Amino acid sequence: MSQNGPLRLTVAGSEDLVLEIVPGELAPATHRHPEVRPAVTSASDRLDGRRRYEVTIDGWVFSVGVESAARAALRDRATQAAAATGPAGRAVVKAQIPGRVVRLWVAAGDTVEKGQRLLAIEAMKMENEVRSPRAGVVESLSAVVGKAVELGDELLVVG
Amino acid sequence: MTREGRPFERLLIANRGEIAIRIMRACREMGIETVAVYSDADAAAPHVRFADHAVRIGPPAASQSYLLGDRIVEVALASGAQAVHPGYGFLSEQASFAEAVEAAGMAFVGPAPQTIASLGDKLAARRSATSQGVPIVPGTFEPLPAEDPAAMEGIAVTAAQIGYPLLVKAAAGGGGRGMRRVDDPRDLPMAVATAAREALQAFGDGSVYLEHYVEGGRHIEVQLLGDVQGHIIAIGERDCSTQRRHQKLVEEAPAPGLTRDQRLRVHGLAVQIARAVGLRNAATAEFLFSRAGDFYFLEVNARLQVEHGVTELVSDFDLVHEQLWLAAGRPLSEAAMAAAAAAADPVRHAFELRISAEDPARSFAPTPGLITRWREPSGPGVRMDSGFREGWKVSGDYDPLLAKLLVVGPDRATAIARAMRALDEFETGGVQTTIPFHRWLLRHPDFIGGEGLRTDFIDRAWDPVPIRETAAREAARIVAQTVSEDGTGGAPEVAPPPTAGARPGGEGTAGWVRPKGPDWTHAGRREATERWS
Repeated sequence: MSQNGPLRLTVAGSEDLVLEIVPGELAPATHRHPEVRPAVTSASDRLDGRRRYEVTIDGWVFSVGVESAARAALRDRATQAAAATGPAGRAVVKAQIPGRVVRLWVAAGDTVEKGQRLLAIEAMKMENEVRSPRAGVVESLSAVVGKAVELGDELLVVG
Repeated sequence: MTREGRPFERLLIANRGEIAIRIMRACREMGIETVAVYSDADAAAPHVRFADHAVRIGPPAASQSYLLGDRIVEVALASGAQAVHPGYGFLSEQASFAEAVEAAGMAFVGPAPQTIASLGDKLAARRSATSQGVPIVPGTFEPLPAEDPAAMEGIAVTAAQIGYPLLVKAAAGGGGRGMRRVDDPRDLPMAVATAAREALQAFGDGSVYLEHYVEGGRHIEVQLLGDVQGHIIAIGERDCSTQRRHQKLVEEAPAPGLTRDQRLRVHGLAVQIARAVGLRNAATAEFLFSRAGDFYFLEVNARLQVEHGVTELVSDFDLVHEQLWLAAGRPLSEAAMAAAAAAADPVRHAFELRISAEDPARSFAPTPGLITRWREPSGPGVRMDSGFREGWKVSGDYDPLLAKLLVVGPDRATAIARAMRALDEFETGGVQTTIPFHRWLLRHPDFIGGEGLRTDFIDRAWDPVPIRETAAREAARIVAQTVSEDGTGGAPEVAPPPTAGARPGGEGTAGWVRPKGPDWTHAGRREATERWS
C-alpha cells in the first residue's frame, strides 16, 4: 500500500462510512490517543488488498478497513459495470445479530412494504424483529424457523 | 460492631459472572470457603478461578447447567457446602429450588420457599398488596386466556376498560422479558401472543396480565431485609427509571427529588408488603412513582437485585454479608438497623451503570464475541463489579451483562462527574458495549436536571446515529494517521486475536500500534513495541 497517497477508509456500521483521507491533512480531533489494533481481515479484505484495524472511540468499537484510494477507485469502476448488468435494486437482508430465527411473517413471493415485519431473531431471550429495507417482492428466502443464524448470514432477498 | 465467627464454613454459589464473584468476595471477607459451579462454556471463567472449589455441572445451555436445580443441590451436598446463594436470575426465584436446598439440610440464602412462590406470581402479589391497602397500578388480577383465540374479544374489552396505553406483563416475569407496551388496540392480540411466548420460554410459565401504562412515571424500588424473628426493615430506595424496553440501564440511590416524607412513605409501603408475606433475608419492592407524586406497587423481587451495590455505597452497608448472617438464622444486625434508621436522610449519592455486551446503535441488540480489550477504571469513589476479562468470549447463552460500574460521591453532581471520568478510563475492544450510551446519558441536561428520570425517556431521547457518526469519523482519522505514520504500513496482515490464557493477564503490547502522540512516552512505547514485535 502506498504510504503517502490518499487512503480510503471504510468504517463498518449499519451503513458503512466511507472516507478518503490524504494522510496528514485531517488530524484527529482528540487529544487522547486510543490504541489502533490490527484486526483479522475477511476474505474480501484480502481479495481487495485491504488492511483492517479496530479502534474504540468514546466507547464505540469500530472496525476500519484501509486501502489505497486509487486502487479502490479502480475496483469501484469494475463493480459498477457488473452492477449495471445485475438485477437492479435488490436488497439482501442479512442477520445483524447472531441468534435463532423464531418467527417468519413472510413467504417467498410475498409482496412487502418498506418497514414491514419480515421475521424475528431471538438472541439472549429477546425477540428482535427484522423489517424490510424496501418495498418489493420476497425473491428468495433462506431463513428457516428454528435455524441458528450467524452475524451477516443472508436471511432473504427483497427484489 | 463486628460479629464473632462466621455464619457458614462453606457456601456454594449457584450462579456465574459478576454476581458470583460479588458473593465470593463477601465470603472471602467472612472466612467462608466458596464452591463455584460452571458450564462447559465457563470452564476457565473468572468466577471459576475466583472460587476455592469449582464443579462442572453441564453443557453451555443454561437449561442444561445453571438451571439444573437438582444437579446443583447434589453438587452442593457432595462439596460439603452448608448453604447455597442463588445470586439473581437463574434459580434465584424458583421456590422449588429453595425448597430442595432446605430439604437437603442446607441453608438457602434468600426468602423462604413459600414467600418466593407467593411473590414470584406477580398476580398473587398484586392481590396481596390490594388486600393490604397498598395502591397498585390498575389492571387485571388473573392470567389472560392467551391460548384461547376465542377469548381475545373479552381481553380487548378488559383492555379498553383499563385504558390504553397498556403493558402486557408476564405473571412470572422480571427483567423486562415477556413485557410489551400496547398503544393501539389493534396491536393487542400480537402483543399478548408474543409476551406469552417470551414468558413461557424465559420463565417456563406463559401467564400474562394487563396493566395500565402510567405515562411519564418513574421506577422507584425499596431494598428490604427481614430476619427469622419477623423484623423487617427498609435500607433506602433506588431510582431505576433509566430503562430501555423495560430493561434497566442505570440505577441510582437515593431517588433524586423526593421529599423526606415521600421517602418515608415508600419505605413504609414496602415494609407493609414484606410483612404480609413474612419476608426473611433480602428482597426488593418495586413501585411506580407518578408525575402526580403517587406511589403504585408493581412487584417484589425475592432476591438480591443486580443494582444492590448502589444501596451499599449510599448506606455504607454490605447487603451480602447481612444476607449470609440472616440465612444462618441470626437477627438483623445493629449495622442494618442503623442503615435503616438513616435511610430517609441519605448523605451520599451513588450510580450504577450496566456495562452490557449490547450495541446501543442497533437497538441494544446483543453482541456476543471475543473481548480483545478490557481495562477497568478505578480511583476515588469507583467500584467495579465485573465477571469478564480480556481474551474472554462473551457467549450468547447467557445474559449480556458484563460488568457494573458503580460510583459514589457526597452528592449527585459529584457522582456524575466521577462516572464520566470513570467511563473515560474504561478501555474496551472487540465487543460493542453500552458505554457510548452512558457517556451520552451523563451529559444530557434532562438527566443531569432530573426531568429525564422517567421510564419512557430513553426510548424517546436516545438517537445514536449522529453520535456514532462523529465517533466513526474520528476513528477513520486516527486509523489514517496511524497507518501513514507507521513505516511498515501498519500491522501484520492478519493479527491473531488474543485468546484466553494465551497471554496471562492479556497485558502484552506486542502487535499493538499506537498513533504518535505529543510526548516522549508514546515514542518510547513505539520503540519498545517495535523491538518486541
